[in-house]
Amino acid sequence: MSGPVLVRLAGVTKDYPKVATDADRLRTIASLLLGRGERPHFRALEDVGLEVHAGESVGLIGENGAGKSTLLKIIAGVVRPTRGTVEVKGRVSALLELGSGFHPDYTGRENIFLSSAVMGLSRREARSKVDAIIEFADIGEQIDEPIKHYSSGMVVRLGFAVATALRPDLLITDEVLAVGDESFQKKCIQWMQGYLDGGGTLLLCSHSMYHVQTLCRKTLWVHHGHARAFGESFDVTREYLTYHEEKRRNDAAPPATIPGNMPRIESAWIEGTDGSKRSTFRQGETLVVQGVAYEPDQRSPVLLFGIVRADGTPVYGSPSSEAGFVPEATGDKRFAFAVRFDSLALLPGKYMLKLHALDPEGLRLFDTVENEFVVTGETRDFGLVRMQHSWMRGRGS
Amino acid sequence: MSAQREPSLFGHRWLLYELTRREIFSRYAGSAGGLAWTILQPLAQLAIFSIVFSQVFRATVPPNYPGVTYLAFVAVVLWPWIMFADSVQRGMAAVTANAGLVRKVALPCELFVYASVIACYAIHLAGFAGVLIVLRLYGENIRLDGIPVAVLLMIPYLLLATGIALALGALHTIVRDVEHGTGLVLTLVFYATPILYPLSFVPESWRGIVMVNPVAQLSERLRDVLLHGPSLTQTDAWIALIGVAVFAAGLWTFRRLSPYFEDFL
Repeated sequence: MSGPVLVRLAGVTKDYPKVATDADRLRTIASLLLGRGERPHFRALEDVGLEVHAGESVGLIGENGAGKSTLLKIIAGVVRPTRGTVEVKGRVSALLELGSGFHPDYTGRENIFLSSAVMGLSRREARSKVDAIIEFADIGEQIDEPIKHYSSGMVVRLGFAVATALRPDLLITDEVLAVGDESFQKKCIQWMQGYLDGGGTLLLCSHSMYHVQTLCRKTLWVHHGHARAFGESFDVTREYLTYHEEKRRNDAAPPATIPGNMPRIESAWIEGTDGSKRSTFRQGETLVVQGVAYEPDQRSPVLLFGIVRADGTPVYGSPSSEAGFVPEATGDKRFAFAVRFDSLALLPGKYMLKLHALDPEGLRLFDTVENEFVVTGETRDFGLVRMQHSWMRGRGS
Repeated sequence: MSAQREPSLFGHRWLLYELTRREIFSRYAGSAGGLAWTILQPLAQLAIFSIVFSQVFRATVPPNYPGVTYLAFVAVVLWPWIMFADSVQRGMAAVTANAGLVRKVALPCELFVYASVIACYAIHLAGFAGVLIVLRLYGENIRLDGIPVAVLLMIPYLLLATGIALALGALHTIVRDVEHGTGLVLTLVFYATPILYPLSFVPESWRGIVMVNPVAQLSERLRDVLLHGPSLTQTDAWIALIGVAVFAAGLWTFRRLSPYFEDFL
């Protein structure tokens, strides 16, 4: 599957100079010119290694300020690492920022030529591609207006459209999908998928785990300047989300956020029919949610579950009152409950099971507890759930 | 290390062309007067200097330049000077002005300086040619046959401007003070250069110091060529050498510092 190595990083470290004072600046300039001497610095990346083969798609995730952009800039050749080696082969196109280099007073069309030149196309090449670019950008008649009159989304569309004309060996994108409207995002993803199918290599930096999972086979998680994890996208993104989950839980540590005299979910977990806790289920298996709710007045609370896909798409939800279920007290102000999902109809993917405790009247929602689970299986179905159906001969009229 | 920053001017000629176009375009974008302003400004300077110095200070043209008024005497060297000074100042600020690109796209940064300087020269050369023609039509004794040599002399002038712009631009990217200092130094050099006065007005003992300045050498030569007719002297070779040396030194400094630009932008 994997082709020749396109990108090889070894022990890459990047220090940014600290130039808080004028003396710092002068000291830095002297040491740069003379090529020696210590300069005050902070470390953006430390000892990062990465190998990307031709035809691979690698995602890059991490918190803000973790060093993702710096890493991309190093691979793109914009930044030279302080230490370590960088080898990059083939034609590289880096979309670190869409529309950088556009001239606000130029029309969209003129900016296409400028931007193509920035990306290394000759004027003749650019001329032959300009129609395709304009079509992709889908800006309409405004293409001949100065781009200072464009909306920011339109500028981004134009920027991405220019990149699509290039067909580089390696495409580096930094969070470019985050802007642009829904339909343009889809268009970009479609284009990237086509690009990957055509043998292209992609390095995608994104905060959208959904994009990373759909587009990238492998993922690198950069954490505080270090490569924290590298492997199958699915595993790395899950680890990353778990990390965030824990971080949020720690941040929200003071339980004062939920007053003690409100109904809440004390604990909840997911298990199989055999009663063992787990978070991975095959499609069609049976999943059981177990939980304990707390109600300060000893009255049975109303419970609510909801299932959402990892990207936030809601799948299904239902309150206990709908089924006429009234949890019984199992201890002092405690109510144990369980929900059973027979033959799971969800399509393979990652999901979040949310549990909420409502007041006994079922009016006010006080608490949310989330449990992640994964459905595995091999299917070519698409959508969210498998619906009962059967194919048969038709009547014909 | 990474190959993308490897500067190959030929490979980037289209970009240089586009950047230069953009640079020229920026000069008049959004103004009704358009490029006229870029010519009007030196024209106004020329008018001020020639009125103040010929009418107020009663400066006269030395007898070895027959058939020209003080206006023409100043114009033939003031215009190239403005071209030089403008190139240095704009070329120097080119990297910071293009910070958006420098930070996001792997390009040889000197392209921005080149584009800036070339745009300046293109605009001002056109203005200069126009002024020479007009002066000639008004009967000033401007030697049209000296123009080819003058054009030749513009090359070391251009190299000088580019070299200085490269060195200062690199420093300016890291320490922004350079911009302020440069304006001051350029004003000093302007008055220390025989532009508003002939070299013969300078006290004998000072001439050696004045002529250390290559711009002074160039000014004297340009005036000689455009008012006396074509000639090539040993000075020209010397000037060319200095031009190449300054350019090389500027480029060395620039390339030395350019990998770190992104750190400071």
